Order: sequence, then C-alpha cells, then structure tokens
Amino acid sequence: MGTIFFELALTFYFAASLLSFVGIIRKKQDFDRVILILSLCGFIFHLIYFFFRYFKTGQVPIFSMHEANSFFAWCILLVTFLIYFSSKVEIINFNIILTFSFMFISAFFPRNVPILKAELKNIWIGIHALLAVFGIALFSLAFVFSILYLVQERAIKIKKLGGPVSIIPSLEILDKLNYRLIWWGFPIYTLALIVGFVKYFSLLGFLWDPKEIWSFLTWLVYLSIFYLRVKSDWRKKKAAYLTIFAFLLLIVGFFGINLLTESFHKPL
Amino acid sequence: MNLIVVGLNHKTAPVEIRERLAFNNKELIREGLRYLLNRCGVHEALIFSTCNRVEVYSYKSISSCSLTYMEEEENHLENSIKKFLSDFHKMEIEDFEKYLYIYRDREAVEHLFKVSASLDSMVIGEPQITGQVKEAFEIALSEKATSLIFNHLMNRALFTAKRVRKETRIGENPVSVSYAAVGLIKKVFDDLSTKSVLLLGAGEMAELAIRNLIGSGVKDIYVTNRTYERAEELAKLFKGKATSFEKLKESLIQVDIVLCSTAAPNYVIEEKVLREVMSLRKYKPIFLIDISVPRNIDPNCNNIDNVYLYNIDDLQDVVDSNMLERKKEAEKALQIVNEETDKFFQWLNSLSTVPVIVSIRNKAEQIRQEEFEKFRVKFKNLSPEILNSVEYLTYSIINKIMHEPTVALKNNCEMKETLILAARRLFGLENEEE
Repeated sequence: MGTIFFELALTFYFAASLLSFVGIIRKKQDFDRVILILSLCGFIFHLIYFFFRYFKTGQVPIFSMHEANSFFAWCILLVTFLIYFSSKVEIINFNIILTFSFMFISAFFPRNVPILKAELKNIWIGIHALLAVFGIALFSLAFVFSILYLVQERAIKIKKLGGPVSIIPSLEILDKLNYRLIWWGFPIYTLALIVGFVKYFSLLGFLWDPKEIWSFLTWLVYLSIFYLRVKSDWRKKKAAYLTIFAFLLLIVGFFGINLLTESFHKPL
Repeated sequence: MNLIVVGLNHKTAPVEIRERLAFNNKELIREGLRYLLNRCGVHEALIFSTCNRVEVYSYKSISSCSLTYMEEEENHLENSIKKFLSDFHKMEIEDFEKYLYIYRDREAVEHLFKVSASLDSMVIGEPQITGQVKEAFEIALSEKATSLIFNHLMNRALFTAKRVRKETRIGENPVSVSYAAVGLIKKVFDDLSTKSVLLLGAGEMAELAIRNLIGSGVKDIYVTNRTYERAEELAKLFKGKATSFEKLKESLIQVDIVLCSTAAPNYVIEEKVLREVMSLRKYKPIFLIDISVPRNIDPNCNNIDNVYLYNIDDLQDVVDSNMLERKKEAEKALQIVNEETDKFFQWLNSLSTVPVIVSIRNKAEQIRQEEFEKFRVKFKNLSPEILNSVEYLTYSIINKIMHEPTVALKNNCEMKETLILAARRLFGLENEEE
C-alpha cells in the first residue's frame, strides 16, 4: 500500500533528527540547511503516502493508530515549516525530533486499512478527524513552547543561564509563537468539533459519547485562552500556564477516555 | 628547517617592558623587517606587535646536514634576533632577556596557530587578534619579507583561526559586562529595533552598554538625569530624547529596557513604585540593568512578575561563567591547532628532496609501463627480441629525461624549496595527493 513512501519519509526524518540531535548537543547550528532539506524531502514523501493511501482505499487515512500518528507527525512538520518560512524562527531542531518520534510510534502499529462501521464511511467524518488532529498538533506545539517559555523565564529570573537553556529562543519569540499557534489552532479545533457534532447528530442522534463531552470541556478552556489572548493584553506567563493545563486536559481526553470507556471515537 | 619565534606577551612581561619593545606603527615594523633580512641573515621574517605581545618570527633555511653545525646555527639565529631587538629598541639584552620565550620549529608553529586562533590572548577567544595577525602578514608580504614557507605558514594560521571559530563556541558568549548585558536583554526581547531604552544617570559602563544596544538595533532612546542639562547633553550624544527626572514613573511605563547608573546613595526605583508601574503597563516585560554602586534599584523588584533585574554582580557572574565556558572550548581548539600543525609539517616534508624524486620517477615508470602495454597489445605479432629492444628503448628515454631534473633537485642550492615546489607542480604531483 505504498509503504515504500512511508519508509522513505521515516528514513529522511531519522537522518534529520540525528543531525538535529548532534546540533543540540554541540550547541551549534551548522547543519540547519541540511536538516531543512532532509525534512522537506521526508515531508513530501509523507504527503505522497497519504494521497496514495487515500486513492487506493477511498477513505481518509486517519482512522487507525498508524494513520493518526503519522498524520499528527506530518502536521507538526507542516506547522514548523509555516513558522520557519513566515517568521524565520528556527525551531526545526526541536520539532523534527518530535515529528520523527511520532512517525516512529506510527511505524509500530499495523498498517492494514481499518474497516469502518457503515455510519463512519462518510467524507465529513474523515474531515472532522483530519481537522481535529491538525488542531491538536497546533495545540501540542503551543504546549511545547509554553514549557520552553517557563523554563527560559525561570532561568532569567534566577540568573542561571548556562547549559542547554542557552539555545532556547527569547521570551518574546516564544510568546509570539504561542499566541499564533492558539490563534490558528482554536478556530480549526472548533471547526472540527462543529463538523463532528453536526454529522454525528445527523447520523446517530444524540448519544452522550464521553469523549464528546470531554472535548467540549477542553474546548471551553481553549476558548478562554483564545479570548484572553485576543481580547485583552493577558499574556506571557499566565498564558503559558493555562496553555499547559489545557493541553494536559486534551491529552487526558484523547488517551484516557479511550482506555477507560467504550467510545466509538476509539482508534481502530 | 629552522623556524624560530622570539617574543614576549602579557603573561611573561610587565607592560613597561612590552611598551619599550613594541613596534608601534607600520613603518617601524617595515624597518625592523628590513633589518632582520639584511643584517641577521634570515630568509623570511614576520613581526607581530600588539599591546599585549611582541613576537619576531623568522626562518632560515639551513642546508647542511651536520647536527653540531645546525645547533650552532640555531643559537646564532636566536642571538642575532635578541641583538636585533636590543639594537632596534636601544635596550640592553640583559634587561629584557628574562621575559622572552623562544620556540623552535614545531613549537613555534603551534604557538603561532594558538596566537592567531586567540587561544593565547588575555581575553581568550577575542576576535581582533586574527585580524591583527593578518595585518602583520600583509605588512611582511608588502615588504617581501615572506616567501614560500611563511606564506604557507601564515595562510594556515589564518585558516586555523577560522576553523577554531567555526568548530568551537569559543567566541559565542560575551565576556565583557556591557556585551553580557545586551546578551541578557536578547533572552527576553527578540527584535530590539522595536524596543525603547531609558538611560538613567550616566557612567562609562552605561554608555558602553547603550552603544552596544544601539549597535543591536535599538532606536528609541530616552535619557534622564537629576540635572536636566546633563540629560540633554547625553541625549544629543546618542540621538535620544531627554526627559525630566520628576517624570521617571511615566518614563518607566513606556520603556522596555532601563540602564541605571547614578551616583545616588539610595534606591532610585523602589519596589512599591515599580509595582504600580507594572500594573499600569499591563505587565509588559521590562528589563532593568543596575550598574550603579551602591545599587539604585531595589533588588526586590526582581520578584515582580515580568520584571527582570540584573545588577553589576549578576552581570559579572554571567561574564565569569562565560569565561569558564570559553576555557573549556579552548581545550577543543587545541586539538584543532594540533591537527593543523601536523598538516603544516606534512606539507613541509613534501618539500624535502628524496620523496619528490621518488614520486617523479614512479610516475614516469607508471606512464612507461602503460604505454608499453598499449604498444604490445597493438602489435601482437612482433617477435620477443624486438619487443625487448623496444622496452629497453623506453627505459633509456625515461632515464635520460629524468637525469637532469634529478641532479638539479639533489643539488643543495639556496632555492631548494622553490625548486621542489616547482617540480611538484610541473610533474603534477600536487593534485594526486589531494
């Protein structure tokens, strides 16, 4: 099933991550160009893999653990490129490692095409899942940058700036990125929920799916971050804390609910 | 081979001696070089003089193989350079001899590489020295004091410096207080061109810091002082705006960076005031640098959210830890120096006679065999006797052609190295090795 493209992407990501790792250890950014090119190659093969799978099976490749993890990895890289090309912030070093990790996880799950229940064989359900994963990818990067923000902030306050802390970007950049990721992530996530809710309602009626309720709670927290960020000047440290809290909530919903309850949101 | 450096630096000699032996301008260096070449009998020379060091590098090619003669010659060279320093600067040798260091051959090359890579500097990793080495080389070059050996040597020294800068982090962390301040500010703010700075009071260090900030892009500058005239004066100097001291609170609400250096005996910015200011500026981050002694900003201000306060001791700590980091990097750099020294001596060895003759002969022999092989394949039907005589013919042609160059190379003349280098190029031996 075009697995060769998956392997190719994985290989390119691996090479890029290795170089990034060396760069972070040596606190040098000699290979940034090479890393960028390698990840771009992996990114393209990865995209071909999605299309291949989509046209082969006729369903959006997002329903199995293998597919979801691999799409998540791709989203993180996509956002990294967008940030890089729009604001020249070089975060590819951290993010390519993140991308590779999720690709690696994805490689361990069976790659067969998931057999969907009849009611899920709907393009809108696929779009709902794609949007949701993309939104979560944006949120998880916001989470990472919030942690980096707090680490850097504390380092400056207590005046201990040596070691690995020295390669973290400035507070201003981290805050700006955080803001932008929420700015894009929130509407996309909202859209995902709306599409999901509308389709779900029309297909199945109202079922009180636990994941749905949890997602709505999480959405409320992100709504408050979004509101506080856009409307008032409420930012920096508090925003970072709230972003971390919201993401933890999201993760609990994503994995915890799957493990504890019987939900049809469970990946196949 | 007889390469020697006679010199002294900030570690070995006090400033009174250094300044007396220094070559303060280009003309003096030129004169010194001429003296060395004409009166000390050296073949190549270079004089390197900065405020921290004076070094005389010289090279004299010694063609004899007798060891005792070489030792004599070396001592003679060393003494004639000491005498040169003494004559040139009108000082008795005894007065400066004990401050000198003398390195020969490998040690001399290593020393030069270390100096040019800024590993021997007072502030390790400071970048100016490489430029100064380059300048010294250019002067020597224009005076025709350098030739084959030194031209290569100096190029390798500059290359080593470049490698060290690229492959280690030796120059990355600032080691002066004013640069360290800018480095810290950049941990908080990204684009300094959109930020404003308030200079509170004045002082040498504050001025240095503000110049560095301007160099990093800060455009919006406010100056305040207890006497308004002084503020205006300074504002003019930095193309900033003077604001009155009474309106300090209003200024604090506006700016992003504060450089404080007044002579006040008490706190000029108190915690209570700054708390009000912060709530008025909606907790937009502010970076305060207090370089005054006694301190002018209440240290408790650092506890306020989004306030980052560094005083002179904090900055000194940053500088100290950066210095430590540089020393660690210098160890890595020494390895590079070692590698490059090895490479230089490999090059130097390639200039000796025997290997060149061997490689030229090998190359000729290889060509002969290949061509003869082609001939044999083409004329399969020839009898063995004829083939033998043809092969003999190829031998003798090669030998006859090789005879003159071999004799010339074996002959110990003054331009030996030049000749060897020429031979390597003429017979295409250089490309093969690379």
